[in-house]
Amino acid sequence: MIEITDLKRLYHMGNVEVRALDGVTLNIEKGEFLGIMGASGSGKTTLLHLLGLLDAPTSGRIMIDGLDVLSLTDYEKTMFRLYKLGYVFQDYALVPDLTMMENVALPAMLRKDRSEEQVKNDSFWILQRIGLCDRRDHLPRELSGGQQQRVSIARAMVNRPDILFADEPCANLDSENSKMVLELFHEINEEMKQTIIMVSHEDWHKEYFHRIVRLKDGKVTSDGKNHSAH
Amino acid sequence: MGKKELKVAFLLALRSLQRGSRSSVLLTIIIVAMCFTNMVFLPGLFNGIGEGIITQVVDYEVGNVLVSPKTGEQYVTDLDATLDLINSMPGVERATPHLSKGATLKYRQRMLGVSVKAIKPGDEKYVSPLYSKMVAGSYLGEDDTGEVIIGKPVAGDATIKQEDEFQPSLGGVRVGDSITIEYANGYTKDYRVKGIYYAGWSSTDNNVIITWSDMEQVEGKTLDYAEFITVKAKPGYEEKFIKDELQQYGISEYVQTTGDLLKKVMGSVMQSFAIINLVSLVVGIIITTVVLFIVITIKTINSRKQIGILRAIGVDKEVIMHTYGLQVVIMAVLGIFFGVILTAILAVYLAAHPIVTPEWKAYLFLTPMDYLVNSLILFLASVVAGYVPAWQVSREDIQTAMRA
Ligand SMILES: Nc1ncnc2c1ncn2[C@@H]1O[C@H](COP(=O)(O)OP(=O)(O)O)[C@@H](O)[C@H]1O
Ligand SMILES: [Mg+2]
Repeated sequence: MIEITDLKRLYHMGNVEVRALDGVTLNIEKGEFLGIMGASGSGKTTLLHLLGLLDAPTSGRIMIDGLDVLSLTDYEKTMFRLYKLGYVFQDYALVPDLTMMENVALPAMLRKDRSEEQVKNDSFWILQRIGLCDRRDHLPRELSGGQQQRVSIARAMVNRPDILFADEPCANLDSENSKMVLELFHEINEEMKQTIIMVSHEDWHKEYFHRIVRLKDGKVTSDGKNHSAH
Repeated sequence: MGKKELKVAFLLALRSLQRGSRSSVLLTIIIVAMCFTNMVFLPGLFNGIGEGIITQVVDYEVGNVLVSPKTGEQYVTDLDATLDLINSMPGVERATPHLSKGATLKYRQRMLGVSVKAIKPGDEKYVSPLYSKMVAGSYLGEDDTGEVIIGKPVAGDATIKQEDEFQPSLGGVRVGDSITIEYANGYTKDYRVKGIYYAGWSSTDNNVIITWSDMEQVEGKTLDYAEFITVKAKPGYEEKFIKDELQQYGISEYVQTTGDLLKKVMGSVMQSFAIINLVSLVVGIIITTVVLFIVITIKTINSRKQIGILRAIGVDKEVIMHTYGLQVVIMAVLGIFFGVILTAILAVYLAAHPIVTPEWKAYLFLTPMDYLVNSLILFLASVVAGYVPAWQVSREDIQTAMRA
């Protein structure tokens, strides 16, 4: 469903060339819970940003459901992100001036195919699903990091994306909250057959991934099914 | 840009104003309100002064049209025929003559050089509201003789010592007192003070007024001439129309409208006013634009990362632009709204308590058009000030913004 061919992203810092991503080729299937692991600076975020259409590669190809997404115009990419992709960031990145409910509803409000009623119902349902419905009128700063990250997942899921991206979603959380967040991803993947691509560099996270791709210096060093996943 | 996008932009803008720094929002609104007030106040005050002067010139000096002697001549002659002719013309409410003579007033120990003006009290009432400005006693009757009305500054105040006076006066004349007037031609007569008036227009207030028949006694003959004739137009008639009419129907004297006269006298004054008005307009626009620009630029700089995130989750550039542009628009609209209220309050206050000087009275003269034009100018300036930084930040590369 996602076909990545010889993807490269080079940065030029004066005379120095940084090969953030140095020829990655991967296929990712529908419904997979894929972990991208590797040391800091190995190119995980770069890869995720390229797949999320937030950045353009130096060379290579990305096909999503047969569509050459790199050939889309800027506006088409925005709409593709809105309709097909969900994104969870390391630092929650909720809009601080919006309530939890408003934060979750925001991407749904922009969709032409959602009525106001639907937006309300979907946002309500997803907040209920993550167990934070009673906090829906609170502002982000009134919630703990773990709670904010769960709301951020709800925001990413409200439009039922084809692919859910998460870039080190537990990096700012303690292990208890991390576990809760990982469980939530696990459940979403199980219940909704949601494709999830998650970046992590914590070794103990790998028990959640069906498949693990390891990066080093912008290259794939290993790629395989994780038989210890639960 | 659809309805949903605009709704989201509006929600984001509103929440940012509601839940962001309240004091900075409030301060910005106050600054816009002050700028609006500044833009409107001075021009309004100058217009008020101008309007006040025009009204008083019409009321106490000229009426609507002034008929004065041909060049080289001292008087308007053939007075009765001329008055009859003017009074018979359509659009003329009334024409009335004026003749002044230099004289010395004597009252107790005081002496004062003034100009004594003769009027026809009955006709004068149609042209000048002076009859309604009596502060003591009463106005002249048509055939009064030996009676005089005098301006309050001429009458003076008995409680003020002579050396402390703002201008020389008779030192406290009261109604019923007798004053002696000695004319330049040597004619001297005692008059009873019938009334004291105060018009708030200095050249009138420094006069002494007698009836036409009294002046005939001074001159020792029937007065078939006058220094000038003031003409009042009926409501709805243009001054220019009356002037053209008079000239067409054989008035060979020098005919001028109030407008003609004011243009000569006030032309340069109005020009200075116009410059000051322009400066206050430009200053208002610049301050508003700069303040709004800075406020919103700071906001966008502080929100770069958040903007990157929003764009990453599928919010379009245009929505981002309007989110920040609309914040400025909302603050500007509120600021202008409070500015309008503030100036309206000032206008009402100044209407009740005008700024008074011996020469003129000033209030705020503002038409709905003034409010509208200034609001619109300030609004457009705000839109530019808000949308320029908003547009810039919405174009920023997502990567750069997110990693900020
Ligand atoms: N905007 C950039 N300019 C220059 N180098 C960059 C930029 N972004 C990332 N890099 C470099 O690319 C490499 C990969 O970065 P990244 O994908 O963020 O790594 P990871 O997420 O695995 O920690 C790093 O060496 C990083 O310094
Ligand atoms: Mg990273």
